[in-house]
Amino acid sequence: MSIFLSIFLASEAGGPPETHSWIWPERAEIVYGCTASIIIFAALIKFGGPLIKKSLSARTEKIQKDLDAGRSDKSSAQTEATAIRAALGDIDAERTRILAEADVQAASLLAEGRTRITQEMAALETKAEADIAAAAARSGDELRAEIARLAGLAAERVVSSSLDDTTKQTLIENFISNVGATR
Amino acid sequence: MSEARIDGYARAMYEIAQAEGAVNEVEKELFTLARTIESNEQLRNTLTDESIPIDRRQSMVEQLIGAKASSITTHLVSFLLASGRGRELPAIAERLSKRASLESNREVAEVRSAVALTPEQQQRLSDALTQATGKQVNLKIVIDPLVLGGLVATVGDTVIDGTVRTRLDQLKSRL
Repeated sequence: MSIFLSIFLASEAGGPPETHSWIWPERAEIVYGCTASIIIFAALIKFGGPLIKKSLSARTEKIQKDLDAGRSDKSSAQTEATAIRAALGDIDAERTRILAEADVQAASLLAEGRTRITQEMAALETKAEADIAAAAARSGDELRAEIARLAGLAAERVVSSSLDDTTKQTLIENFISNVGATR
Repeated sequence: MSEARIDGYARAMYEIAQAEGAVNEVEKELFTLARTIESNEQLRNTLTDESIPIDRRQSMVEQLIGAKASSITTHLVSFLLASGRGRELPAIAERLSKRASLESNREVAEVRSAVALTPEQQQRLSDALTQATGKQVNLKIVIDPLVLGGLVATVGDTVIDGTVRTRLDQLKSRL
């Protein structure tokens, strides 16, 4: 800008200003420019540096946190995977145990059922034999009773048919005679 | 019916029969009627059926015994039926018979037979029972076909059984 200002002033003065080099500015300008630049950089370093450093540090910290969380998640996942694998192993073992237990129980029930059936059959056979014996005895008793009843009926019929008036009168006379002779 | 009431009816009927001078006759006819009622379930049910009017039951009894019994017996039975004591007639007749026997110092001897006994047989039987029991007996003959043959006499607590039925029952028991 100072160049343009110089050119402008020169034009106003009536011609271009002259410098000692067509490319280098004047020494004073270099000094002032450099000093100003150093001051600005120093100010930047002094006041902006901590902010940048703090920002970078926070970013680093955040990344570190993310990394730590990732590690923690990985560790949890690994632990869980281990637990699942262990549980799977437990399930297999439990299944094997249950199947073995079921086999044992089935064998026990089968044996118990066979024993019970055998006992029941023996009891039934005994009862059936007793019933048969009782029925045979009962049939014998009933047969004897029936024979006795029929014999009694037959005797009654024979006696009734043979009891004519003469016999009845004879019986009455015998009764009177016997009663009279009992005193 | 209580014993006292049966006894009361028997006593009253005895007094009436005694007043009429027909104790033996009434006693004998009542005894026969009582045995007939006892042995005939239909007759017993009819005479004790409260749904049949009393006058009809009385006429039935009169038809039944009217020709065979004295009028005093018929009237006494009608009185019993009218009093609603037809069911107790056998018990009253039995009590009356005992009373009559006691009054004449005799014991009732109930004799069951399959056939009727002649008067001569009844006399000999009465003598035989008197001799056997040591008591004067008032003979009551009951015709019972179930006896089959022979006789069974009950004098008080003494039973003298000479029936074919009893012999057959013993034979059945042994069988």
